[in-house]
Amino acid sequence: MNNDQELKLQAFLDGELPARERPAVADWLAADAEARALQQEWALTRSALAGGEPPRPLPESREFYWSKIQREILRGEKAGARAAARRAVPWWRRLLVPTAGLAVLTLGLSVALNYWPPGRQPHVVETALADSGAFTYRDLKEGITLVWLSYPADSGLADDAGADIIE
Amino acid sequence: MRQKLRSPSRLGWWLALFLPLALAAPCALAGDLKLEALLVWGTNDARSPDPDHKPVGADLLKKLRSFPLKWTNYFEVNRQQLAVPSAGAKRTSLSKECEILVKNTGSGELELVIFGKGQRVGHIKQALPKGELLVTGGNAPNFTAWFVVLRQVD
Repeated sequence: MNNDQELKLQAFLDGELPARERPAVADWLAADAEARALQQEWALTRSALAGGEPPRPLPESREFYWSKIQREILRGEKAGARAAARRAVPWWRRLLVPTAGLAVLTLGLSVALNYWPPGRQPHVVETALADSGAFTYRDLKEGITLVWLSYPADSGLADDAGADIIE
Repeated sequence: MRQKLRSPSRLGWWLALFLPLALAAPCALAGDLKLEALLVWGTNDARSPDPDHKPVGADLLKKLRSFPLKWTNYFEVNRQQLAVPSAGAKRTSLSKECEILVKNTGSGELELVIFGKGQRVGHIKQALPKGELLVTGGNAPNFTAWFVVLRQVD
């Protein structure tokens, strides 16, 4: 069976064959077992497609379902437009915003370090002294730190003022 | 759409103006630490027997008097300017017996080492922002006191 014969048989089955050709095809079907087998196979396929496809009910209303599809299409179009716009901007201008952001971050960090240096918190005075008579006084409001050393009290160069240093 | 695209770029232009400033700021912070060191004598006498001594400035006097110390008058004995490079150190003499060594840690802190008659008598490490004072002191003969005042200058 060639392709033309198959097409003609399919047209006969679908009822699309001209009336003048139908008797000849009917005779051919009656005489040819292969043609009958093919016709039966197509008839079964048609019935399977028509009645065997499972229904696919939508979980939402028809309007909502299609509105989702519409939104996805619009989103894709906008993404494409944005990508095209990005491609239109020169590379150095695309780098401008992150570079400027980095600059601002660096500036902020510098200002913060300038106004709040790492060691500006209280208790930053580290005094390494051999004597135990030393003390530290810090006035945060005035921004002054006094470190009092007992030197040279024990060297004979100074009076032994001792406890009357403090008012 | 065009306006939306233009706005971030314009913002970027404005922000980019701060780039040189932002890059320069850390360099400025990491530069020389310009300091002024004063040797001060504290006493209850109204005048110093040394005619070269002059009373400290009003601002410094007010701050020294705010300390819980018994002296009322303070005289400037010597004054030295120091430019300490980042991660460097400078040693200077404030009197025949008193020397100081200032180290710039480069991380916003300094170290002050005080020497009396060549001996190390104190070591202080702390931040010294502009406008703040680090005062180190000790007893001196005749119920007086010596002070080393360290501050940043422009």
